[in-house]
Amino acid sequence: MAGLQPYVDHRVLLILQDGRAIVGTMAGYDQKSNVVLSDSKERVYSIEEGVEEIPLGLYLVKGDQIVLIGELDEATDKAVDLSTIRAEPLPPIRY
Amino acid sequence: MLIFSVFKTLTDQRVTVELKNDLSITGTLKSVDQFLNIRLDNIKVLDEARHPHMMAVKNCFIRGSVVRYVQLPAEHVDTQLLEDATRREAAAQNKR
Amino acid sequence: MLPLSLLNAAQNKPMLVELKNGETFNGHLVNCDNFMNITLREVYQTSAEGDKFWKLRECYIRGSTIKYLRVPDTLLDAVKEEQNRAREAGRSARGAHVSGAGQRGRGAPQRGRGMVRGGGPARGGRGRGRGM
Repeated sequence: MAGLQPYVDHRVLLILQDGRAIVGTMAGYDQKSNVVLSDSKERVYSIEEGVEEIPLGLYLVKGDQIVLIGELDEATDKAVDLSTIRAEPLPPIRY
Repeated sequence: MLIFSVFKTLTDQRVTVELKNDLSITGTLKSVDQFLNIRLDNIKVLDEARHPHMMAVKNCFIRGSVVRYVQLPAEHVDTQLLEDATRREAAAQNKR
Repeated sequence: MLPLSLLNAAQNKPMLVELKNGETFNGHLVNCDNFMNITLREVYQTSAEGDKFWKLRECYIRGSTIKYLRVPDTLLDAVKEEQNRAREAGRSARGAHVSGAGQRGRGAPQRGRGMVRGGGPARGGRGRGRGM
């Protein structure tokens, strides 16, 4: 089974269908891959300036909106200076 | 269901998953479920310079519904067996 | 922790709901079900472009149209405590019926916490705003 259990209580990166990237601690999930994130922050990418982090707090994301959930390697993540990263925002899902 | 079985035989192989947001991710297939949700280990994003978003991500869960293609390692897919299994499944379905 | 336990515990609490079309709704949760259909009261609705606002006394939102919900941070601990209590109760009274979900959150209701915006600067277009 490709369950989400290994990600519980870990810092994760969530990519949504609209292209948003949200980091947070996975507090829980269910059968439909609805996900609860605590201490979550949106990472807003742009070409003009570095990555902006916007605190979002406690978030419940519907499963059908989720594209990808990645486990963040915290050491690697902390070593990255987000203000130096310039990139297009991820595109939204197009069917 | 058949494709689910095919994916299960490919666990621990390197595959490339192209998503419907045009992101391509290569990784070791760790598991699949009946929705064709996929778990990949040791991932690498194609064109990392353009997509630095996943820099600190080593393994991930991909929702089956957003997968466009999965590139399979040809040497690990027995296409003859797959054709036979497909015919058998189609025959079983026609009987009902 | 199940997402639906969190939602159940959010009754009477303020929340922000964004729909798939980018519209947002700020209000207090009145009721919810397992499909995440919800009713909110004292609602501020914001258009996807962030340029139009409406005030609704009450509204119903179909669960399938929701993108995400933002709830007060304090709910996480409330739900965890509730689950611990339920587990303890289950241990001491083995065999007794234990209902995990459906418990109301405890303690003083959290008013505001900046969850309700009474208008303000426009957000980014196409629902790609700041979640607030």
